[in-house]
Amino acid sequence: MLEELLIFTRGGLILWALSGGGAQASPVDALIRSGLLEERPADGAGFSLDGKRALNWAFDNGLGLVFVAVYRRVLRLLYVDDLLAAVRAEFARVYNPKRTSYDGFGDVFRQLHLEAQARADEMNKFKQAPIKPRPPSPVPVPLSHNDVPKVPGDDGGNDGESQQGGSDGESGKEENSGDPEPKDGGAFNLGILHRLRIKVIPTKDINNVNGNKNNNKGRKKNKEKEGTHRKLDFSDPVDGGKVTDHVVVKKGVQGQSQVDTDENVGDGPKAEGWFSSVFQSIAGGNTVIGKSDLQPTLKALKDRLMTKKVAEEIAEKLCESVAASLEGKKLGSFTSISSTVQAAMEEAILRILTPGRSIDILRDVYAAKERERPYVIVFVGVNGVGKSTNLAKVAYWLLQHDLSVTLAACDTFRSGAVEQLRTHARRLQIPIFEKGYERDPAVVAKQAIQEATRTKSDVVLVDTAGRMQDNEPLMRALSKLINVNSPDLVVFVGEALVGNDAVDQLTQFNQKLADLSAVPAARLIDGILLSKFDTVDDKVGAALSMVYVSGAPIMFVGCGQSYTDLKKLNVKSIVNTLLK
Amino acid sequence: MDEWIRQAESWVGQAEGWIRQQPPEQIYVAAAVVAITILLLITVSCLKSSKPNTIVLSGLSGGGKTTLFYQLRDGSAHQGTVTSMEENNDTFVLHSEQEKKGKVKPVHIVDVPGHARLKPKLDEVLPKAAGVVFVVDAQDFLSSMQAAAEYLYDILTKATVVKKKVPVLIFCNKTDKVTAHSKEFIKKQLEKEINKLRESRTAISSADISDEVQLGVPGESFNFSQCLNRVTVAEGAGSTGNVSAVEEFIREHVKA
Repeated sequence: MLEELLIFTRGGLILWALSGGGAQASPVDALIRSGLLEERPADGAGFSLDGKRALNWAFDNGLGLVFVAVYRRVLRLLYVDDLLAAVRAEFARVYNPKRTSYDGFGDVFRQLHLEAQARADEMNKFKQAPIKPRPPSPVPVPLSHNDVPKVPGDDGGNDGESQQGGSDGESGKEENSGDPEPKDGGAFNLGILHRLRIKVIPTKDINNVNGNKNNNKGRKKNKEKEGTHRKLDFSDPVDGGKVTDHVVVKKGVQGQSQVDTDENVGDGPKAEGWFSSVFQSIAGGNTVIGKSDLQPTLKALKDRLMTKKVAEEIAEKLCESVAASLEGKKLGSFTSISSTVQAAMEEAILRILTPGRSIDILRDVYAAKERERPYVIVFVGVNGVGKSTNLAKVAYWLLQHDLSVTLAACDTFRSGAVEQLRTHARRLQIPIFEKGYERDPAVVAKQAIQEATRTKSDVVLVDTAGRMQDNEPLMRALSKLINVNSPDLVVFVGEALVGNDAVDQLTQFNQKLADLSAVPAARLIDGILLSKFDTVDDKVGAALSMVYVSGAPIMFVGCGQSYTDLKKLNVKSIVNTLLK
Repeated sequence: MDEWIRQAESWVGQAEGWIRQQPPEQIYVAAAVVAITILLLITVSCLKSSKPNTIVLSGLSGGGKTTLFYQLRDGSAHQGTVTSMEENNDTFVLHSEQEKKGKVKPVHIVDVPGHARLKPKLDEVLPKAAGVVFVVDAQDFLSSMQAAAEYLYDILTKATVVKKKVPVLIFCNKTDKVTAHSKEFIKKQLEKEINKLRESRTAISSADISDEVQLGVPGESFNFSQCLNRVTVAEGAGSTGNVSAVEEFIREHVKA
């Protein structure tokens, strides 16, 4: 059953553990590092990195506690969310900030566990009874006869396929779709499988759209099944935005830390609300923040973020996660809701924009130098964002640190690309490796790296052709280039002028790189270079959108067209600009 | 507007008249009381702010800071810890000193999360620090050497740390494990890594506001003794309670 249920403070101290001090904290640690620190919306579910365990978590914002349940994924326990909510309510009664051991809670927990299981069993029985007679009636006869006995297998098969083919089906509702074989007796599993299949259908359509192979027969069957069982669909409506799902899914599986930008909650004190907010701030010692209190401020903040050109869905998600993290918190005395929300949002954005790992390229270059290999950087991006220009700026910067640089002209498509790079090389007086046009970029890159190794060059900068993110053959070619040459750094060049499209560009790039790679451990985008930053005055939202969506840190900012116009991102100033 | 000005003037006139009516001694006494209170407040605030008594526990994620925090406070690590998402902030008397007779001054210890994304929290706390304990995982040192050196470099080059000569203790934790490295080894490796960092760390442009202070002597390889503030190295184990080195450090720098 449940392997582990941990209750711990946000500061990291474990208050109570089901396994009584067993050191099973590693999946929880990984969860915290990749998921919770990104401020995912409270109370969610997902998988551990090795895919064997499922984790459900819940927050108590008022007391600053986190509740995490760990169980083996194949068990598909359905009562866990319910159990977590009950545990949270009970523990809140027992909790005392000074106490650090809660041994008596074990009995309470066992009781709650039994109750939750009983409730889940009841719900299953209730759903099973009406399901059985249904299939024959509205569905055309020949199909239905095939449907009923095959349902477990087919569903399992389809679910399994969509699971593997699609992008890392990790969202909470999909967690149960991965296992084709029913566990115990047929009746129990039928009920579960029906319920799960229904939940999976909306997201399955997304998977179908993305070109997973589902047999048409299966698709038709599913659609008809959906029609007959709509009344029995107790699942929560999947929120719109296919991209949303993918973003959520990606985070979990890759184990990448996504910078979830908490959206700033806008503080918008309006004239009529001024007096009440003043009164509240003076008297506001013990009020608990509720959802309705947050809505107006959140809406104002979201609008403000969108005027700063943050992509709409990113703004939405940020607002939601800030709301989730503040709900239930006690308002401090002499603070108004808007200032609390503003502070939370600021912290969230800061957390998202702060790089999760070191972005010191020079040190990595020196490390590669010791290993007698050139450090390879590949610049990718859509058309016209400034790859070649910024590549030259990076070369200039590296030259200033006394490193020898070689350029590789792997844009063999666009006329003039090789000449452009040749001009840069001449001005910077560095060697360039080029093979002209109409050549395979992957091969050119490989030869360039070999040449650089031979001439003992420190860094190789590879320029690629711009390509739209939905152009399948070009993305395939890019994936091949990256996989064949295993560069040390893959930099996505995105322009600061882009708005909502940044989300799509980055997700698609990452996804295509993951899908189309021949090796299991695909290389994804390691860093972002934000170009044309001088053209946006204060509409710097693209930085936030890009970092949020891809999880890659912004390594450089291009702010002009001459060689010296390359900067590092100043996180604090971006945060201030976004929230002004 | 004019009406308000006239009203204000009439009030001022009334107040003046009222004051003139009071006997002079009362006014002098009132003024003296006010002046004395202000003086007292100023002196108290001056005295308080001159001696920060905060010790900051910093280091990479997984080093053992939270365990160390609870050892210092309660003498045991309770049921274990997970990665911290927020800081642990408390003022208490060290557990080992609780049996001491007489007045023991409580210390304020802040355990800052080590996760890279929560770095800004460290920047908030450092200005008030009287001492910094940098916790290093002696067992898993080699894989995290670079990151640890970078973190330490960041601390040592903060303007506040250098100006106030905040002492730093590099605490090699988890020495109870068999595969733990010795503190001399760790010290040497950290010095080498920081030396490499010194060469590669220059801001690309002034847009990156950094508190960077030049570490060490140019031309010579870096050594902890070149730092303006005192840097010492010690070892111990948080989970077994072997934290005497940290306690000595604390007592040394937070006057009891």
